Amino acid sequence: MKYSVSQETGLGKPYDRKLMKRLLTFIRPYRTLFAITFILVMVIAAAQLVRPYLIKVAIDDHINGLYIPMIVVEDNDLHNTDINHLVSNQTDNIVTFTINDELLIRNSTLEPAPNIRQIVKANEQFLLINGIVESPTNPATVTEISANEYLVEGLHAIPLTTEQVEQIKAYDIKSLYKLAIIYLAIIIVAFIVGYIQIYLLQYLGQRIVYDIREQAFAHLQKMSLSYFDTNPVGRLVTRITNDTENINEMYSSVIISLFKDILIIVGIMGVLLYMDWRLAIVSFSTVPLMLFISFFYRRKARAAFRDLRVHLARINSNIQESLSGIKVIRAFGLQKDKFDEFSEINQAHLKANMRELFQFSLFRPSMDMVYALTLALLLWFGGGSVIKGAIQFGVLYAFIQYSEQFFRPIRDLAEKYNIMQSAMASAERLFELLDEPEQISDPAQPKSLAIPVQGFIKFNNVTFSYDQQHEVLKDVSFQINAGETIAIVGATGSGKTTILHLLSRFYDVQTGSIEIDGIDIRQLPKQQLRKLIGIVQQDVFLFTGDIKANIHLNNPDISEQQVIEIAKYVNAHEFIEKLPNKYHEPVTERGSTLSTGQRQLLAFARTLVHDPRILLLDEATSNIDTYTEKLIQDALPKLSKGRTTLIVAHRLSTIQNADRILVIHKGRLIEQGTHEELLQKQSYYYTLYKMQYQQS
Amino acid sequence: MFKEFRTMTWYIKKHYYRYLLGIIAVLIVDGLQLFLPKILGWFADDVQNGTITFRLIREYALMIIGVALGMFIFRFFWRYFINGAARHLEFELRDMLVKHFLKLSPSFYNYKKTGDLMAHATNDIKSVRMAMGPAIVMSIDAFILSTATIVMMIYTVGWKLTVIALLPMPFLALVVTRFGKMIHNRFKKVQEAFSLLTDVTQENISGIRVVKSFAQEQREIARFHTVNKNKFDLNMNLTKVWGLFDPLVEFIAAISFLLVLAYGSILVLNNQISLGDFIAFYGYLAMMTWPMMAFGWVYNMLQRGSASLARINQLLAEVPAISDINSNNSSDSNANNNFDMNSNYSSDSLATNKHPSNTVASFFRGNNITFKNLSFSYVIGQQPVLKDINLVIPSGSTQAILGKTGSGKSSIVNLLIRQYNPPASSIFIGNNDLLTIPLAILSQGIGYVPQDSFLFSTSIYENIALGNKASTPEQIYEAARIADIHDNILELPNGYDTIVGERGVTLSGGQKQRISIARAIMRDPEIFIMDDSLSAVDIQTEERILAKLETFMEQRTTIIIAHRISTVQQADHIIYLDEGRIIEQGTHQQLLQLRGQYYQMYQQQQLEKELDGFLQKDVNPYEI
Repeated sequence: MKYSVSQETGLGKPYDRKLMKRLLTFIRPYRTLFAITFILVMVIAAAQLVRPYLIKVAIDDHINGLYIPMIVVEDNDLHNTDINHLVSNQTDNIVTFTINDELLIRNSTLEPAPNIRQIVKANEQFLLINGIVESPTNPATVTEISANEYLVEGLHAIPLTTEQVEQIKAYDIKSLYKLAIIYLAIIIVAFIVGYIQIYLLQYLGQRIVYDIREQAFAHLQKMSLSYFDTNPVGRLVTRITNDTENINEMYSSVIISLFKDILIIVGIMGVLLYMDWRLAIVSFSTVPLMLFISFFYRRKARAAFRDLRVHLARINSNIQESLSGIKVIRAFGLQKDKFDEFSEINQAHLKANMRELFQFSLFRPSMDMVYALTLALLLWFGGGSVIKGAIQFGVLYAFIQYSEQFFRPIRDLAEKYNIMQSAMASAERLFELLDEPEQISDPAQPKSLAIPVQGFIKFNNVTFSYDQQHEVLKDVSFQINAGETIAIVGATGSGKTTILHLLSRFYDVQTGSIEIDGIDIRQLPKQQLRKLIGIVQQDVFLFTGDIKANIHLNNPDISEQQVIEIAKYVNAHEFIEKLPNKYHEPVTERGSTLSTGQRQLLAFARTLVHDPRILLLDEATSNIDTYTEKLIQDALPKLSKGRTTLIVAHRLSTIQNADRILVIHKGRLIEQGTHEELLQKQSYYYTLYKMQYQQS
Repeated sequence: MFKEFRTMTWYIKKHYYRYLLGIIAVLIVDGLQLFLPKILGWFADDVQNGTITFRLIREYALMIIGVALGMFIFRFFWRYFINGAARHLEFELRDMLVKHFLKLSPSFYNYKKTGDLMAHATNDIKSVRMAMGPAIVMSIDAFILSTATIVMMIYTVGWKLTVIALLPMPFLALVVTRFGKMIHNRFKKVQEAFSLLTDVTQENISGIRVVKSFAQEQREIARFHTVNKNKFDLNMNLTKVWGLFDPLVEFIAAISFLLVLAYGSILVLNNQISLGDFIAFYGYLAMMTWPMMAFGWVYNMLQRGSASLARINQLLAEVPAISDINSNNSSDSNANNNFDMNSNYSSDSLATNKHPSNTVASFFRGNNITFKNLSFSYVIGQQPVLKDINLVIPSGSTQAILGKTGSGKSSIVNLLIRQYNPPASSIFIGNNDLLTIPLAILSQGIGYVPQDSFLFSTSIYENIALGNKASTPEQIYEAARIADIHDNILELPNGYDTIVGERGVTLSGGQKQRISIARAIMRDPEIFIMDDSLSAVDIQTEERILAKLETFMEQRTTIIIAHRISTVQQADHIIYLDEGRIIEQGTHQQLLQLRGQYYQMYQQQQLEKELDGFLQKDVNPYEI
């Protein structure tokens, strides 16, 4: 893995309508679930909004319930009730009390009037007054006029018995219990719905990521080899794994929770405006400041964060370089220089780190500060209103509680913005991959080969270049008869392997054409072509799995018995049997536990199991021990028997056993014929032969 | 778990003032924080008792602002001090680690993956940082805040309501800890699933040729589907627990509030506490939630930090295999090379102080290099790669080494430059056993051109100067001219300032080789070693370079490893290695007369030349 600062860290636009639209299309299959999630979110938001309101009700209506002014109402049905017995009746949420033969209804918004009553507390005694006072718990003047009569701030009052007070309190306590039960119900619902909502949301996000991954991977399989040549493995892997993960964030952390945040913000604004619009405006007054700080910080932090990432990338690449260049560092005694160099970078990183810390350390406390400021403002203005009797204390307290809830989502907005940005960048890169057209595609009207396929191959004036600059094959023409075995020889880099690649249609020729049984391979369905051709490459790639799986390649039609038979046939059985787990021996990616020769034998078996009509073989150049070499040489004719075979040959015996030899030099076919013919010519092949094989 | 952190005491000692100031700031913030609910409580009581006045309201509002301002300032301080200390730790730890990396020899790197080492230098250090910063703050803060809050609660409303309200809190701490662990475990599984997904993708892309040639696309898609599905399933498995976490924590906290609402409000009604007390208590309760959750986080952070620290400690305990033997028992001190003694690590030099050139020369000038019965294997008990090498390289002569791949050519050189330790008394420079010569002297006296011509990603100029700060441009140009690369460099977009490597231009193999030759020349070495350093240039260029090098090589002992006879035929002495043994030796003429391996190689290369010549004549292959 290379640690580079380049495009991978790029921070792009946070919002792009086209990208967004496309991202939303992935939601479509799950739109019902999405709708459900939205509804659940609404429930949660509602639950969040109700809780402070319940506290307000508890304080204003019940904890302070005793002192709420009451109005006398006429109701004859209730007249006959026991004077001393207090009746409470809660039809239509109107609470009525009967005290001293008067039917009373609580009403907190009453102006002074003749039929108004209020309970006040004076000298540890509760008095019912005709009228209302400003401070029922601490009335200014209380004078006793007779045994059971008082004057409270000039208003006539009679004492309440302890029993009467207790009965009123009992009502309030009962109500508080009811409130508590409602509260409990709400938190239980919030808990359950909250869990379901999170689960659903994650399900959606992960599901979409899963879909995108499947799609991206399947698309990748359609890309031609030239696409893989030009895109480093690491980059493609990142597209499929990390970029998709980033996009998930977009679904699970942004779309829904943004909706939730907005719901809560709007909801709180509504509740606050409903309770008291003047105080609501006081609460909102600090929002611009909050937003300003958030976005100011975000901008600063982004720069600092990017700076930090650049420094970290430099640290990483410096360490990586030192680790890979350790030999040179030691040989030149550069340890100190390298350390100083690193230390300097590390120091710069520390500086950037401290700068970022400085900003961050300021940001969070400043947010808390803004909240405290709001609190102070609420107290200032709200307190005044409470004094004037314009609002009740519970309302003010609810405001204080709502403000806290209100600021949280606003504070998080900046963070969401960042997530959005990185998701968008990832989406852009991923869509780029998905939009990459299939370069080697199946023909619109594919032709079919006549069955049985003969395996007659013809190259017509083929010219090819991997990079559009250097021609690897130049005007190559030849034909191979069905069942013939051809050896291709030439120096390294002369273009031999390319012939095999073109025939398998890993790449398309630039000019000229390649035919099998008289049909241009571009007209054949790719699947049919590849089934027709078996290719054994020089560097045998083994998949993680066991030996058996590397032979049958998970084709369910091939039995284990067949695998073993074929392994025996190509002389692979013997070494496989010597492995601790035989056919079930696990293989690692590059198959480091197996020798080159053994890997080649495995590849023989793998190819033969799939029984191709045409066999392409790129002989291994590296050293193979003599025994395995013999096994390979023995297996080769078995492999090519009855098949059109093309071998990029490095071994003399292979060449000598071929029906014909093609000599390639610098992309051109310069000689062809049998071994003897070419030797007699005393030309290029002759010299090549002398050079490479004479001594061995 | 905390044992590992004992190795960090030196760090806390070194930065105690940061921690101290930070902790003081935390204490102040906690104290101030306790004020806020109290202010609201006073306010509520004043409202309730009708004693509220505009003046009082103003006072309360200003109090809140004052307290908030104080909290703002001290919150900033503790973050800056303690997290700052942790970030300094990150810095120092990384410095230490890299310094240690540089001390370790190639044998260490043979069995360590670069990726793992990188992970130690980044991820592990980061989790130690988290443990030494935020975890410390959080645990102190949580402890102080929760204790003080409980005290304030009891003081405000008495112990009964406090106990009732706090009943659910231990559950909260428990949930956080337990869930933290469960989440961590499941998260690890998700990560494993993710790397499996990565592996399958990577394998597919690396093996795309096989996939395509066997038309395996559909099966590969199926395979990918399995790991993709697995990742999805494990993710949902994580969500099952993780998704429960937030709602559950909120629920438990809400139960506390519920208890206060139900019980506390009745106390108010019954005049046992005032409404103000109730309000203040409600505020305190809100403050309790955080410390309870913090305990869980801290625990998890410390656990992770401890595991990371253990890995780092283990790495730092690795003893460099190759060090100066005569320097004061360095291997002993290295064995204890732990954090404790690294408080003064900056003075612990990397042993590459430049020696005056006459000191260096005294070790080499006029001294022969002698190999005495040298046998060597990289891993003890394994097949030796060098067997019984006896060779004297006279001072000032040119020695060539030939042989097939894997015959041991490079091993001879690797021992001479001490990438690996040779057996005692097997290699001498003059009368000095190689092992007794200080490494710094050795690296200064030897100009080595490695096989893979590794270049640093900096300018070409600096790559040639390489640590030689006193070099003048003219010297650099001269070295480049000798290596036949000067003109090539000038043709590059930025000449000598061109940056090479990943972020710069890509040089051809031949260009890299010649730059690394120039770099060795630049050192003005006593011994000049070229390990197959002309393999990527064509024969004509090679001849040019060799001709230019002639005067340079005349003045010093030169060792050339090569594959081409043309490279070595001018050498004073040639050895031919086969399976670690010298099987033929002598001058070019002598070896030819032997008619052995060397002769065969010569014959073959002659043919090759002929072939090239033949092709140059044969301009039109279509005539065939």
